[in-house]
Amino acid sequence: MLVSSSISAARAAALFLVCLSSLRAQASSPATPPQPVTREVVDEVGRRVRIPVTISRIVSLAPSLTETLYTLGVQDRLVGDTVYCDYPPDAQKKVKVGGAIDPNLEQIAALHPDLVLLTKTLNRLDTVRALDRLGIPSYATDPHTVDQIISSTQKLATVLNVPDAGKSVADDMQRQLAVLNEKLGPLPPKRVLFIVWTEPLISVGKNTFIADALRKAGATSIVDSGQDWPQVSLEEVVHLQPDYLVFASSHSGAADNDFEALANRAGWRILDAVRDRRYAVISDAVNRPAPRIVSAIEDLARQLHPDAFPPALPRERRPAGSTEPLHPEQNPVTMRSMRLPGSTEFSCAR
Amino acid sequence: MRPLTLGRLLLRCSFLAVILFVVVVIALKLGAVQVSLYGLGRDLIRVLLGQSSAISSDYGMIVVDIRLPRILLAIVVGASLSVAGAGFQALLRNPLADPYVLGVSSGAAVGSILALMLENQLALSPEFAGLITPLGAFLGAAITISGVYLLGRREGQMDSNTLLLGGVITMSFLQAIITFLMSTLAGGNLRGASFWLMGSLSTLPPKSLLYLVGIGFVVAAGAIYTTASDLNLLLAGEREAMHLGVDVPRVRIVVYVAASILTAFAVSVSGSIGYVGLLVPHAMRLLFGSDHRMLLPTSAFGGAIAVVIADTIARTVVAPSEISVGAVTALVGAPFFIYLLRRRLS
Repeated sequence: MLVSSSISAARAAALFLVCLSSLRAQASSPATPPQPVTREVVDEVGRRVRIPVTISRIVSLAPSLTETLYTLGVQDRLVGDTVYCDYPPDAQKKVKVGGAIDPNLEQIAALHPDLVLLTKTLNRLDTVRALDRLGIPSYATDPHTVDQIISSTQKLATVLNVPDAGKSVADDMQRQLAVLNEKLGPLPPKRVLFIVWTEPLISVGKNTFIADALRKAGATSIVDSGQDWPQVSLEEVVHLQPDYLVFASSHSGAADNDFEALANRAGWRILDAVRDRRYAVISDAVNRPAPRIVSAIEDLARQLHPDAFPPALPRERRPAGSTEPLHPEQNPVTMRSMRLPGSTEFSCAR
Repeated sequence: MRPLTLGRLLLRCSFLAVILFVVVVIALKLGAVQVSLYGLGRDLIRVLLGQSSAISSDYGMIVVDIRLPRILLAIVVGASLSVAGAGFQALLRNPLADPYVLGVSSGAAVGSILALMLENQLALSPEFAGLITPLGAFLGAAITISGVYLLGRREGQMDSNTLLLGGVITMSFLQAIITFLMSTLAGGNLRGASFWLMGSLSTLPPKSLLYLVGIGFVVAAGAIYTTASDLNLLLAGEREAMHLGVDVPRVRIVVYVAASILTAFAVSVSGSIGYVGLLVPHAMRLLFGSDHRMLLPTSAFGGAIAVVIADTIARTVVAPSEISVGAVTALVGAPFFIYLLRRRLS
């Protein structure tokens, strides 16, 4: 008796829950305001998405996409990005919507974006689905090579209705790569170990755009793995004896410390590259499938093949008292932190 | 112990329901996006009156389409885990039993990782693709719990200690499989997997899944509740319960299957949110006594309150980023439990 009535109490509570959720179901079909004109595009993972014809509010969920938007000169339309979007520095001032893997849907919705940009290798499919359910259009990129980064940038520019800027950025990237290719073409590639992470030792697989960037810089990764981020054993590295270790860092000091830490670690001294201090430090732009990667490629090429870049460029600091203006290309540090590829420099005017 | 009356049961449940309501309103108000209490009240009344169209488009979507479903999910998950925990603790007559000790969450994690891998191979329609991971998690949990059940049988009987040990061993084994899968397979595809291991309510599940989990909770929790009086007698010992006329094998099967279903559903939508199934039933026992007719419904409310609070903390404390709700339940749950324990002792 008692039991059965308390069951009905439990049922009533459950019913309350069900009621709440059914109300929610009604709530999710609001009378829609007159739809803006939309068009259908196919994104790089093959999804057909309806997007507004004019896109004036963009949320970017990847640092590379944020950089690309700036390079295309449409940074004014960028209304939100992730906490990892730190380049260019202005991107840090945008409204943050959380991380790339766990963006805050509320924050995205509150920004009323016309389009949310994602990239397959960084963002989660669940995020795309959640955005679909909320009726927020999203567009995903998926470049796996440097050439695809170029075509991806150009395609994105078309989606954002700035095809001219896209063409100019793409042409510029291609021109720089062609110049590099001409210089490096006859030289045998340097065998390098690209170090993503030191503890544990993680490198890049052959199908990543980073491996492709290494090839474009006149290098070849000693790691020949089908995995994208393979963990490599020291034994294997010693066996393969790379010519150079390559570190990526947003500030070169940290990578130098990385090298010292590795050099002092037991076992690493067996590596010729460590004993002879053969290592290269490049901008972390190499980690991002965005136009700036070309500058990182060029930077690496200059460090690995200095002879291919006559006249010999001074790699150390200029002597004090020199009055000659500093050209960005002549100082790798400046180039890393300041320079963007292409003629489309940041400008507030665009 | 005072005898349980319907009045006292309803009084306590409505007391907890009021707390839950207040917690839900606070949870609806808090978040990465600021919403005024007045606007929230106005919108909630409009939702209840069925005038959703009148909701201001600014916050309507955020509160009604993002926060409310997430809170409802937290309620169902919390209630499911707690009722499952109360059921397992009574069934195994072991205070340390909880849904995860039996390896269910690890099984669900393996299932979801395999589903994530499979999902990349198959070209599925978007509606169905969203259900693959929860389905994998559910199957993983179901297979694991069946396996542990077979391990725990001795001479045709279910043995509590063997079952618990079997669960612990299975959990370690599955954790090793998870580590193996995560470190050998292309890492990029498994970013979602870490969510299953830590527990998260941040992904908006499909509406159909929400309903399914809600209905699953009502059915399975209801089934456990029908055995509440028998579970009370079972606390005295299986032989004693049998002499008192309890159909022990039937109770075992009902509670085991229903509690497993509750856990599997909860894990399939939220990953592994630990401590709730262990701590909430103990807290409710300390507060309201160990009569299962009282314990099961109060645990449902208590679990719902706990997970809604934990998830609200998870999504606000470092907004707009989030921390894992499982970390919050562990951080907040353990000290709270010690407090209850000390209070009881003094």
